[in-house]
Amino acid sequence: MKKVFTREELSRYNGRDGAPAYVACNGKVYDVTGSFHWKGGKHHVLHDAGQDLTGSIGRAPHTAEILEKFPVVGMLRD
Amino acid sequence: MTAKVTREMVEKSGINVDQLVELLVKNAAAELTTYYYYTILRVNLIGLQGEGIKEIAETARIEDRNHFEALVPRIYELGGKLPGNMKDFHDISACPPASLPRDPTDVRAILQVLVEAERCAVRGYTYICNLTAGKDHRTYDLAQAILNEEIEHESWFSEFLGEGSSGHYLRRGETSPFVSKFLK
Repeated sequence: MKKVFTREELSRYNGRDGAPAYVACNGKVYDVTGSFHWKGGKHHVLHDAGQDLTGSIGRAPHTAEILEKFPVVGMLRD
Repeated sequence: MTAKVTREMVEKSGINVDQLVELLVKNAAAELTTYYYYTILRVNLIGLQGEGIKEIAETARIEDRNHFEALVPRIYELGGKLPGNMKDFHDISACPPASLPRDPTDVRAILQVLVEAERCAVRGYTYICNLTAGKDHRTYDLAQAILNEEIEHESWFSEFLGEGSSGHYLRRGETSPFVSKFLK
């Protein structure tokens, strides 16, 4: 049974000060802590871990599919 | 800061210039570190198998160095600067290190490293183009020029991996056909 995150809970996983880096997209919460591209909880300067990136993915130079290689740690509550 | 109006125009267009500069610095770091790592990859492309890849690896290597050279003036024009410490500069690279594979005689593995490095660059410059299109004309022009060359690099390495035809003919003339205007 996967954990259900509120947005407030998700925001704590911002990849800073030793916290894991989680991001949400299309309702799933991914653990991107080990990713080079999410070092320090930041992605390409403009995106922070601990957030729902569903709205931003359309402007990204990649699709949401790129997140599928990361472990899913839960679902984001609407 | 010298190009005061230059920065002001970009700010006026709605771009967060500090964020843009940070992106440019990270991508400049990716270019210079890639030039370094590609030097190692290039010298390991030996033997019958390595010989066929040497030329495109060398062209990509030099062009990535040219990309670094072209980015630096724009960083400073926008009020930014390079880190004072080269180790710090390496560590903020927008792309992972293009490290030599565990088996340095595995040319296919070297090609995989090369194509992934180019793919990271293609995404990075596509992002900067999207951010600056219609707003910061000079950075857009520069990012687009670099992007054109990174796309060619990706296609060469991808073709050698047998992923399909690149559609490219032999590169004629000097290196950096798109970026060279920024190096004059």
